[in-house]
Amino acid sequence: MVEKKKKTKGKIAEGKKSAHLMEIGEEFEPLEFGVTPELNQQYLYAEEDFNPRYIEKSEFGPPLVHPGLLLNMSNNTRSPSFYLPSGWGEVHAGEETEYLNPPFVGKKFKVTWKVINAFEKRGRPWNVLDILIEDEDGLPIMRRKMINTFASKELEK
Amino acid sequence: MRITKDTPIGQDFNGRLKKMSWERIWTFSGGAFTSAGWPRKNLHTDTEFSKNLGLPTVGVSATQYLGHLAELMLNLFGEGWLRGGKMTDLKFLKLVADGDILTSKAKVIAKEEESSGVKYTLEICCENQQGEKVLIGHAIGIAPL
Repeated sequence: MVEKKKKTKGKIAEGKKSAHLMEIGEEFEPLEFGVTPELNQQYLYAEEDFNPRYIEKSEFGPPLVHPGLLLNMSNNTRSPSFYLPSGWGEVHAGEETEYLNPPFVGKKFKVTWKVINAFEKRGRPWNVLDILIEDEDGLPIMRRKMINTFASKELEK
Repeated sequence: MRITKDTPIGQDFNGRLKKMSWERIWTFSGGAFTSAGWPRKNLHTDTEFSKNLGLPTVGVSATQYLGHLAELMLNLFGEGWLRGGKMTDLKFLKLVADGDILTSKAKVIAKEEESSGVKYTLEICCENQQGEKVLIGHAIGIAPL
């Protein structure tokens, strides 16, 4: 894997930089969101997992937020500043995830994303993101390293 | 099924079969039900969007079946896994399409006694209905002494 940044084609919308052109050290705008019982239970259906720990109570007391919800809400596509030109898509290629503390329904969460590596491989742009989810009390909940590449018919030309 | 301090190396575990139906794909990747224009169009929810990217069909979000693996880990290690549990070296190998049926699997490959308990390293994967691996990696969890 060559750790060399090389710019590839892509339009830049005013005020937003395309995700495939992000450089090491750059950050996506953070996202804050609250988890209501209704939102959590939407994900219980999506994940086909109705364990009472997510609805009634957990070993820690309050019901837990489903990990699938946090994983989905911490994809960088959720950032308010995420942008890709029309005809481009991001492909999630790899991942490392560390679960730090239990997340509880009713809390608010904040997600931050930072580019820690960016390179080209086999003609496609790739980047690696450091992602942190914290709850409203500043408690770290989950840390991810997300490895992404990008798909577009432009890349096949 | 639960991993205990006596679980041997080589023990394997399977999660429940999960069908990636359109309903569940849209529910996961289409945004909150209350958002305008639900479901949001993206490469997970809209076939035309995906084909415009050069993909043959929609691709289920990898985080959706990562959630299946998290369920398996919580069942194996208990809710304490949310304090220090890890999934590492994860690679997403193959597109998961609507209608695919996935099974999460885990196999004990190492165990090491520590002060906090027995640290287990598992080889993990998700397989589709044809037995093809769509995700591979490792997981780490602690079973109490």
